[in-house]
Amino acid sequence: MRAIETTDLVKKYGELTALGGVSLDVPEGEFFGLLGPNGAGKTTLIRILTTLLKPTAGAARVMGHDVVKENALVRALIGVVPQAMTSDLDLTGYETMDIYARFYGMHRKERGGRIDELLDMVGLKDRAKDLVATYSGGMRRRLEIARGLVHKPAVLILDEPTIGLDPQSRHVVWELLERFRNADKLTILLTTHYMEEAESLCDRVAIIDYGKIVALDTVPGLKKQIPQKDSIELGVTGVDMERAVEWAKKLSGVTTASYRESTLLVSADHGAEAIPAIVEGLRGMGGRVARVMLKEQTLEDVFIHYTGRPIREEEAKKVSFLLGAGVPTKWGK
Amino acid sequence: MAMSLLMPIIYLVILGNSFQGELKNLPVAVVDLDGGPYSEKVMELFRAVEAGPATLDIMQVADQGFAMEGLREGVFKAVVVIPGGFSRDVMRRNLSEIGLYLDNAETISALTIRASITGALSALKDEFVSIREERAQMRLRDIELYKKIDYDQTLIPGVVIMAIFLGAMTTGAFNMVMDKFLGVEESYFLTPLSKTDIVMGLIASGLLITTFLALIVLFVGSLISGLFFWGGISFGAFVLMLAVIILSTLGLQGLMFMIMGRINHPRIVGVLGGFLNVILFFPSGAIYPIESFPGWLKAFAFVNPETYSVHAMRALLFKSAGLQAVQGDIAFLAVFALISVLLGMLVFKRAL
Repeated sequence: MRAIETTDLVKKYGELTALGGVSLDVPEGEFFGLLGPNGAGKTTLIRILTTLLKPTAGAARVMGHDVVKENALVRALIGVVPQAMTSDLDLTGYETMDIYARFYGMHRKERGGRIDELLDMVGLKDRAKDLVATYSGGMRRRLEIARGLVHKPAVLILDEPTIGLDPQSRHVVWELLERFRNADKLTILLTTHYMEEAESLCDRVAIIDYGKIVALDTVPGLKKQIPQKDSIELGVTGVDMERAVEWAKKLSGVTTASYRESTLLVSADHGAEAIPAIVEGLRGMGGRVARVMLKEQTLEDVFIHYTGRPIREEEAKKVSFLLGAGVPTKWGK
Repeated sequence: MAMSLLMPIIYLVILGNSFQGELKNLPVAVVDLDGGPYSEKVMELFRAVEAGPATLDIMQVADQGFAMEGLREGVFKAVVVIPGGFSRDVMRRNLSEIGLYLDNAETISALTIRASITGALSALKDEFVSIREERAQMRLRDIELYKKIDYDQTLIPGVVIMAIFLGAMTTGAFNMVMDKFLGVEESYFLTPLSKTDIVMGLIASGLLITTFLALIVLFVGSLISGLFFWGGISFGAFVLMLAVIILSTLGLQGLMFMIMGRINHPRIVGVLGGFLNVILFFPSGAIYPIESFPGWLKAFAFVNPETYSVHAMRALLFKSAGLQAVQGDIAFLAVFALISVLLGMLVFKRAL
């Protein structure tokens, strides 16, 4: 069965098209990433899948259930970690877990064990009796991930789970997600605008921009599709550069070669693997290699290839002049 | 912003009209058991007050029993009884007395009525003196209907309803507004909880907290003003009191959901809160009698749930009233609570 299935999903806000026909298939057990800049429609897509928004057109099914017609059923099957921190500051970690377990109608016996297990896994066992208000951002996020899993959902959906976290907390979250995925055979859908997050976690990645999916494949698959390869820079002395370039071009796996003063520039499919052969060859010609620099192809390159620009930084929020920040969005615009 | 400018102006209109310097149109029943020339004279003087400064609204009632019942239920603020043989006594220059029964559960009205009636009767005395050139022994004997009640004690129902209002304002629907503001509500919209679960849960928590608040204010207020009602009212009356408090709270909780259901910034609630307190509290009759309001404000008081809460609590606390005297209030409060909770649920959107 498909864990998530959407066909030509469209969402419009008046004139603005947030989603312009998105079709996705995520099989059970997959770790699927949605990569896109802010405002690309990731959150809109997530909110449709989690029944918070109704699509303008098209259909979406989660574990075979329609998100509009069977929304209550879908909500019981999914665990969600929204983008904003949504844990109540006035509750303790344990109370948060307990109250959500009750929302899902879990029995007392079931609840206690599951909550202890999850809090232990996310490393909050010792802080379970403390108010969430005393937690750091990373701790709150971990609690929210545990909360999303309390009712043993079939699908875990995370919207930018590491946004605003320090690098260390970010790595902790990644490790956790890997562990939960292996332990519970979860299907995980994650949105992010961090390249490394998508690269290190996801089986498959969809690049979404302006409400449309522009590319969808595994991370290596996506990289293969684009012409920009790994690039190697070598500082070389004691060798005829013209000759070195001609020689390098003939090596297998190398696509192009050129030089600039005493720097040899080589582009290769697998840069790291090409380096030893290049260095050995240059030594054979009597040259001396002073330095080697490898710039590996990243998802960023893939992103630029498909969207024509780097992943952009967050746009400034529109704020009402009269009413100040944080007013209803309808008024603020 | 626009609201914070507009609201003070609305306060002016409401406060200005509910606290007019002089009280007006206080309903007074006159039972004329004499029917003689002097009792007619008295009636004329009363009519003059009614037509002139309009302090009183005179109603001539034949049956003293009916008039007294009206007084206890709050239809009349006072009953004047002109006893049989009044004219004869005046003519014989005997001691002649007019009885004035006052609803002293409303101190301000009672004082005004007494002053107004004493004034009217003094005119009769003067006239009498000038004709007969002899001083008649006539006096007004006023009888306070209930045991002495201090002014601060009469404010207790108002203070309790204000506690209920503030409780309703800062629990229930306000928690929802705060959750929206902090973005927390998204996470419970993601659970299988239905709209009814969410609204009812918030109202139930608000109801519990506010009921306790109101009871604490009732006890502390009574201690401060020296009312010690627990010695004076029966257990049954206390249960009715509790019912009034719970129904008032429920009604206001529902009303808050109706008003705040779509609001997602606490600042707007702050502005609305002050405004609602004024427009619900002052026209409720907690401080000034409703009878003195202009027509439009009277009409508002008629649909204002706080009016009924204040009326019922006053009857239960000061008039040893039973179910009969407050059943109308309780019925109104129950219907109001039902409608407001249902509408509140309609207004609430289980969506972002």
